[in-house]
Amino acid sequence: MKAIIAATILGIVMMFAGIMVKNKSSVVALATVLLFLLLGVNIWDIINTPANQPQAYFNNMLRVDRFSLWFNALMTGCTCLYALLIGKEIKKVGAHVAEYFALIIFILCGLYILSSYSNMLMLFIGIEILSIPQYILAGSDKKNLKSSEASLKYFLMGAFSTGILLMGITLLYGATGSFSVMSFSFLQADTLNPLALSGIIFIIIALGFKVSAAPMHMWTPDVYDGSPTAFTAFMATIAKAAAFIAFLKLFSGSFGSISSRWTIVLSVVTAATLLIGNVTAVFQQSVKRMLAYSSIAQAGFMLFAILAVNAVAWQGIIIYAIAYSVATIGIFTVLMKLKDYTYDGFNGLAKKEPLLAFVTTIFLFSLAGIPLTGGFMAKYYVLYAAVAQGHLLWLVIFGLLMAAISVYYYFRVIIAMYFKQGDPELNSPVSSGDKFLLVLTCLLVLLIGVVPQLFLNGI
Amino acid sequence: MGIYEVLFWFLTIMAIGCALGVILSRNPINSVLFLIATFFAISGHYLLLNAQFLSIVNIIVYAGAIMVLFLFVIMLMNLNADVEPQKSKLLQFAGMIAGGILFLVILAALRTASMSTIDKEATDIGLITNLGKVLFTQYVLPFEISSVLFLSAMIGAVVIGKKEDHVIEGAE
Repeated sequence: MKAIIAATILGIVMMFAGIMVKNKSSVVALATVLLFLLLGVNIWDIINTPANQPQAYFNNMLRVDRFSLWFNALMTGCTCLYALLIGKEIKKVGAHVAEYFALIIFILCGLYILSSYSNMLMLFIGIEILSIPQYILAGSDKKNLKSSEASLKYFLMGAFSTGILLMGITLLYGATGSFSVMSFSFLQADTLNPLALSGIIFIIIALGFKVSAAPMHMWTPDVYDGSPTAFTAFMATIAKAAAFIAFLKLFSGSFGSISSRWTIVLSVVTAATLLIGNVTAVFQQSVKRMLAYSSIAQAGFMLFAILAVNAVAWQGIIIYAIAYSVATIGIFTVLMKLKDYTYDGFNGLAKKEPLLAFVTTIFLFSLAGIPLTGGFMAKYYVLYAAVAQGHLLWLVIFGLLMAAISVYYYFRVIIAMYFKQGDPELNSPVSSGDKFLLVLTCLLVLLIGVVPQLFLNGI
Repeated sequence: MGIYEVLFWFLTIMAIGCALGVILSRNPINSVLFLIATFFAISGHYLLLNAQFLSIVNIIVYAGAIMVLFLFVIMLMNLNADVEPQKSKLLQFAGMIAGGILFLVILAALRTASMSTIDKEATDIGLITNLGKVLFTQYVLPFEISSVLFLSAMIGAVVIGKKEDHVIEGAE
């Protein structure tokens, strides 16, 4: 609760800082300080909340437990990392730097709501607070036609999916007479009202849209490709993880008792997401667009955690969210250093910037799920959870097959960097500060892979 | 059949008929006008449910503000002619089949649904006093937190709408 209040206040502070502070570099520095302050508030919140004692606020609108607080803290930490690595690039997007950071802090506020909501009204408001700033960030590069297209497309499709979400909530309310997430856990699979079932299907469609699960993924490549790269890095990682935590809390938490009724729908969605994400990524020429498809593919793996409905899955989603976010933010940082976003733009990077090429390799290893990196542990946790569930072995095997395909398009970048001749053009020289931060990010990726328990300590 | 039932059926038929008119009419202006009529019919339903405040808000906000803005945009963009691009026949057919199947499935599922929690007694929950009380006690958090949502929407309006007069400066 403290974090939600702090995020709101700091967002407003950031907004007014746009009037007071004219220098863009000072705005970025201020935003970074405020984000670290927010991380401090999150940690303070964790220390003050005893384990295994969920706290309900405002007539059970929010239910804060250690799991949600820990997720909040980790994601705020990722945002701090994002601000350190990519803050400089945000300056180049447009004139309203302070406003962009204010929107990012408001997205964090939405994330805090989504990780601890206990009422469908809060879910709706959280999803909207998460989405509306994203529509704006997508269109922030006003002189770029592709950015405007991305924003409009995202907004129209997003508004449509919000309508479907509301329809689902309405149907569920009609069947149960309650908005409270708690009351849904008393639903029985054999006496389930068809009204509630159609509501659940509508909610799967709407939340599937927000996490870009196939066949609701159509917007993802265009939006992620068209948006300014600095904001794509945020939308594809932290904002997506927030939508996933909401999905997990509702389905694994509240609809867990009736999982037999929706597992088949969601497993088909998962299989389609894995197939479309991985196979289409193979054919891309631009690395940025490949990363957009890879984010669809990674969403497919995160869906395993929702399907599994057990405690391991809840740990898995945290590990997956942090491993995927850190690696993706890292790879986008490297991508923004380059002028040419195609695979050919990476040709010969290892000769020119050996360190940059090396950290990129580690990030790509993590995304592909090679052992010793965070991505391997993340995939291990979610797939293990799905195996433990018992009926999903076919999907797990299919997932492993798709992970093998993903190695192909991630390694294409590595091959371009190390084995092809070329002289990649850099946007700006890589400063020693950048190098230090990238190595730190790289170490974080390895740390998640070696001691994942470290990132589950706070639950 | 009392006056209540007569009004109910009249408003229901009006709402569904006008909603069909929205999607079936070719002219965008007719669509918008049909939509306004639909909102009025739904406001009538709210009145029948003894929810005066909701009914008035629905008319003022939706029929009044939003739809007039809609009409403005359509007239400004001069969309009154039949200019919408024609979809291919195959696409139309596929859409019809998909939508029809969804409609059938939901209809079949909801046929057996039990609609138990209908309150037969007249209730005062829709009156402005009660609504205000509930809004500021039980639902105070969503009410207050939606301010963050509106604030970010306002920032968006400024960020997107404001003219960028100075040239975007490079790094440092």
